[in-house]
Amino acid sequence: MFAGLAVWAHAQGAGSFAPVKALLESRCAKCHGGENTLSGFDVTTRASLLKGGTHGPAVTPGSPSTSRLFEWVSSGKMPQGGPRLDQSELKTIEAWIAAGAPWDNTARLSTPARREVWAFRTPVKPEPPRGPGAPHPPLHPIDAFLLAKLQQKGLGFAPEADHRTLIRRLHFDLTGLPPSPEAIGKDYQSTVENLLGAPEYGERWGRYWLDVVRFGESDGGEHNFERLHAWPYRDYVIESFNNDKPYQQFIREQIAGDLLHPGDPKMTAATGFLVAGPWDSVSAELNKDKNMALTARMDELDDMVTTTFHTFQALTVNCARCHDHKFDPIPTRDYYSLTSVFGGVGFGTRKVATAAEQAEWDGLTKPHRDKLDRVRRQLAAIEDPVRTRLLTDRYKAYATGPRIDRRPLTVNAFWNHNTFAPVTAPYYRFVVTNQNGRKPRIDRLELQPAGIVAGPWEGAAKATDDEPQIMPIPGGGAVSSIEWSSDRLNGSREGWVKVYRLEASDDGKTWRSVASSLDHVGPNELDLPELKDADVVAALSPEQRAERIQLIAQRTEADAQVKAFPEPRRIYAALPRDMHKSFVLERGSVARPKEPVNPGALTAVKQLSAAFGLPAESKDSERRLALANWIADPLNPLTARVIVNRVWYYHFGAGIVNTPSDFGVNGDRPSHPELLDWLAVSFMENGWSLKWLHRQILSTRAYRQSSAMNAKAFAADAGNRLLWRMPLKRMDAEMLRDSVLQASGNLNPARGGPSFMLQKKGDRGSYIYAALDNDGPDVWRRAVYRFVVRGGERIMMDSFDCPDPSVATPQRSVSNTPIQALTMMNNPFVLRQAGLLSRRLERDHPASAESRVGAAYRVLFQREPSAQELSLAKGFLASNDLTAYLRVLLNSNEFMYVP
Amino acid sequence: MCPSYANPANKQTRRDLLWNLGGGLAGIGLAQLMQAATPRTSGPHFEAKAKSIILIFLPGGISAIDTFDYKPELEKHHGKETQGANTITPFFGRRGSLMKSPWTWKRHGQSGKWVSSMLSHLAGSVDDLTFFHSMVARSNAHGPALFQMSTGFIFQGFPSIGSWISYGLGSENSNLPSFVVLPDRRGLPPCGVANWGNGFLPAAHQGVIFGDQKNPIADLHPPSGITPAAQAASYDLLSSLNHGHLQRNDEDDALAARIRSYELAARMQVSAPGVTDISGEPESIKDMYGLNSPVTRDFGYNCLLARRLVERGVRAVHMYNGGHFGAPRVNWDAHEDLIANHNKNAAILDQPVAALLRDLKQRGLLDETLVVLTTEFGRLPISEGLGEGGRDHNPEGFTAFMAGPGLKKGFSYGATDEFGYKAAENPVTLYDFHATLLHLLGLDHARLSWYHNGLQRRLTDVHGHVIRGVLA
Repeated sequence: MFAGLAVWAHAQGAGSFAPVKALLESRCAKCHGGENTLSGFDVTTRASLLKGGTHGPAVTPGSPSTSRLFEWVSSGKMPQGGPRLDQSELKTIEAWIAAGAPWDNTARLSTPARREVWAFRTPVKPEPPRGPGAPHPPLHPIDAFLLAKLQQKGLGFAPEADHRTLIRRLHFDLTGLPPSPEAIGKDYQSTVENLLGAPEYGERWGRYWLDVVRFGESDGGEHNFERLHAWPYRDYVIESFNNDKPYQQFIREQIAGDLLHPGDPKMTAATGFLVAGPWDSVSAELNKDKNMALTARMDELDDMVTTTFHTFQALTVNCARCHDHKFDPIPTRDYYSLTSVFGGVGFGTRKVATAAEQAEWDGLTKPHRDKLDRVRRQLAAIEDPVRTRLLTDRYKAYATGPRIDRRPLTVNAFWNHNTFAPVTAPYYRFVVTNQNGRKPRIDRLELQPAGIVAGPWEGAAKATDDEPQIMPIPGGGAVSSIEWSSDRLNGSREGWVKVYRLEASDDGKTWRSVASSLDHVGPNELDLPELKDADVVAALSPEQRAERIQLIAQRTEADAQVKAFPEPRRIYAALPRDMHKSFVLERGSVARPKEPVNPGALTAVKQLSAAFGLPAESKDSERRLALANWIADPLNPLTARVIVNRVWYYHFGAGIVNTPSDFGVNGDRPSHPELLDWLAVSFMENGWSLKWLHRQILSTRAYRQSSAMNAKAFAADAGNRLLWRMPLKRMDAEMLRDSVLQASGNLNPARGGPSFMLQKKGDRGSYIYAALDNDGPDVWRRAVYRFVVRGGERIMMDSFDCPDPSVATPQRSVSNTPIQALTMMNNPFVLRQAGLLSRRLERDHPASAESRVGAAYRVLFQREPSAQELSLAKGFLASNDLTAYLRVLLNSNEFMYVP
Repeated sequence: MCPSYANPANKQTRRDLLWNLGGGLAGIGLAQLMQAATPRTSGPHFEAKAKSIILIFLPGGISAIDTFDYKPELEKHHGKETQGANTITPFFGRRGSLMKSPWTWKRHGQSGKWVSSMLSHLAGSVDDLTFFHSMVARSNAHGPALFQMSTGFIFQGFPSIGSWISYGLGSENSNLPSFVVLPDRRGLPPCGVANWGNGFLPAAHQGVIFGDQKNPIADLHPPSGITPAAQAASYDLLSSLNHGHLQRNDEDDALAARIRSYELAARMQVSAPGVTDISGEPESIKDMYGLNSPVTRDFGYNCLLARRLVERGVRAVHMYNGGHFGAPRVNWDAHEDLIANHNKNAAILDQPVAALLRDLKQRGLLDETLVVLTTEFGRLPISEGLGEGGRDHNPEGFTAFMAGPGLKKGFSYGATDEFGYKAAENPVTLYDFHATLLHLLGLDHARLSWYHNGLQRRLTDVHGHVIRGVLA
């Protein structure tokens, strides 16, 4: 220990404590102090600082070079999530350690109180500011808020854009398509109303939503299976926008539509939201490594929780999976309460046909299905006896042979196998005894190879030797092993079944033991030699073999006949599945379950109760509905703010909060907090209507201003956060493709239904989606109807920042690359559409080249060409054809930028 | 326009704004427009050892214990089962017994490195190589493991190594893409283009596939029906029209940058075929890369092309030796027959990669190019099923190598246990591996970041340490 006097002597000069104290408090203590001591490291007292954390001692007084603290801040390893310490700060620390790390007696450093996150405060509708003098006509409240900030900098709005520009802007903005030349003649207000009422509106704004919710139509990953029935969700989204569905309802339906309106296909489709993301079917279904498979399930839940909270709450709750959120007030416990909400949701396709549709299909296919059944039974009659005999032989040989792979199998809570000689019986039961007075619990019980699955099952009473719990299992075919678990997800010991018997019976009265925990010693079923089809065939008689071949041919034929009838409607959506108890997982690891959690939401939202008051065994329906209502509650301070900000962002190209899916501490701060609150509260007052919101924004001067440059404004606000002009926007990938088709007159207006494909999965065995160079009306539909695959071969749209839906895209990049230029110039799609447009122009304007150039300008830019443009055209067309000319116009900035 | 980058934590430079905001800014001199067409870069953060990288991926999972990680103990215990803590649960659950490597092993080079007879050409390069024998991946399934190797995350959709490097260092040659991908001619790797996606980084950093020699880049050449003269006239007309439009729009930067991108495209159209045309290469070089043998011709061409690309300033090349799954197997996923599978793939891999290393070295390019050879995971020391000849996945300990400046040459780092199952000494996470390769390129993995959905995202997530032990 250093003597207090010696320490004090350093108080002011080099090596003094004061500046180090300031550094530690401001740069380290947020993560390593107070409630947060990541890696067990606490900088707030001298003793704990010296002691260090899990990485060992942090400071060796007198020796900076061997002090981990100095090493890590010098190398930039720390502080994480912030800028590095600069040279003078490093020197300060070095000198302080060299001086023996003096401390101000017993001082404990203060830890920064968590910054209150603005977005958790209740939005209150403010009075719009009054500018100097009363303007005529009175300012729209939105303009009043904006102008007040501009005027603080001595700025104002740009002049109003000309009428043609405004009409073009409205068309692109609301429908994603260019106007017809005639549409320019309409007035502004009626154009707004017409476009908001047009079906193209939902196609445009629904596409934005699909970006945010990472909607894709293939699983992604290794197998990347197609989701051929995922499109009903896309149609649901488009229809919801077109019908101006109240946003509260839109939220509830996407989280729990199948529970709110059971049997309504559209409401089932709405829950496609939950499972629109990537899904690793390989890890979920094939992996025999149990911890890996459990981790994969937690990854699924993480995707649902993450997307729900990014989308509706603009919060990054996923950061709390392994540790409390480092910046926002979201503890790990909240995160696992949320995973518990979605515990009953799996990935898959649901049948949603009405009874009548199903009955019709049943009737039409019955003869073929009957035949299929018959053929299958005949095949089984030939194969099954042989199969059973061979399996028995193999088992016997194995059991009496060298026992290199026989080992005692421990009964555990996660996963158990017991293998025995094949048995065939009509009745089985699973008997649990000796639970020491506890309730037994089974969440999965499977007889194999018959594949009879039972469970989940929780013993109603305590099981004892005298009073066993008996679970009947439907019997039937031959079985040779049993697989079960008590808690597949968490492996908890609560209800863990250790003493059991599997019994079989021919009459349901007298029972014989087939396997039990007493003989839970046996070959691992996985190690048994596999019985292959070829082995079975080899054991058949020549006649049986011949008959088998015939039967297989008949089976193939009958199968094709059944498949010739389109199956009753299916929808890829949230698929109910078994639920498991949820636990806080330490460091996010499935191997380290801690305290159990019940379904709930965020404790940081003080306006609402985070606890749903649901018990651990509550149903999927109660859980999801509770969360849906929690999010859609008018008292939730985030919900309305988040959606009005998204809409604002798409109109102006910058959000009031410019991180639309992150309203937390790491996100952007609102540029106009009062405006955001005014919008949020007014939006709720007006029935959560998105079209109401559009009308407000579109009627402002801010929206109607031109994109004229203003050097003074640029100097003051280069990023245009104050909206001193309307920014030019490069068309995004969908708008570009749609606009080229619209211009050429070939946009196929077919709406909804199965997606058209620009990429297609290869033939059997291939997991790659090859890019197709297909052409024609089928693929000339709007890009929102494209089959969106994950990780497909490159298509034209990828060059224009069209995101792969593997991650959510609340904001698209707008990049500018030579590859884009090559794509627009040389991709056959552009040239073909230019060719089709040239034919159209030649047909409609046979008179002169000049008239065709004029028509092209009207179609593409809704204006007449200037004299100079006409002369350029003339020069070009002297040695090139109209197609080549139109291709250049489609490449022009005037075409590719929305004014 | 959708601003792609809004990070309140970092003050943006004017150049950042130009690049990231795309539209919306104007009123600056034309001199700065040139910059606007060049993607924003993050680094370099300090002096680089290498200025470009060639990454050779072996999808499917090449076996370490049959190539570079010699395990004499396996020979002793061949046929025995693994026990206790070492009991292995393979991906497909078919647990066999310990299986020795069917190849013969010899020491090679000054370093005396053990190499199996499978890779006789690469055995001649061991003194230039730095081996990582204790690689550990987070998943035993191909998809997540491939993603982790290519992007640092086991989930799909994050930017690939090449995209990060392109973002970090930009391009040395604006006439070529900064990040080029050379898939195996037998097909795209498993998970396809997700292996080189730009994720949330701007499309400027997406990997560009170089395909056949005549038309290396998609849409490089005008479609049939457009003559060279028409193409030239088209660029001229476009330029005139766009300049008129630019004037009417107050010289808006975004518009000017797009004009420039067309000029670059026109130049790329000329220079890209020059890279892929190898007719000027001497016969000895073609022979060395195996271009005269049907087995090695395709992959050999890619290796030669990789050299020509880095020679011309391309920053990152992702190459694949192996295609996707399905039948027939065209990658290293030797579940059924290790010997046949690995011999077949090794015959394609061995000579061209050895030639690439030799060629880079003789041109002095190995002093400025980092070559990395890796795979998503290795293979288990036990057979897949009793008495079977395959090996299942092993993410617990496998081997990769690097060659290039700043590394200890002829050096082996880390080790697996006596059977080659688990990393036992100096385990190398992929975070550390990635941090190290970025370091060699002058990039600090902790600072090479991009804001996305609430986080400054990095190739190394929140992990990673540069492995000082391999640095010269």
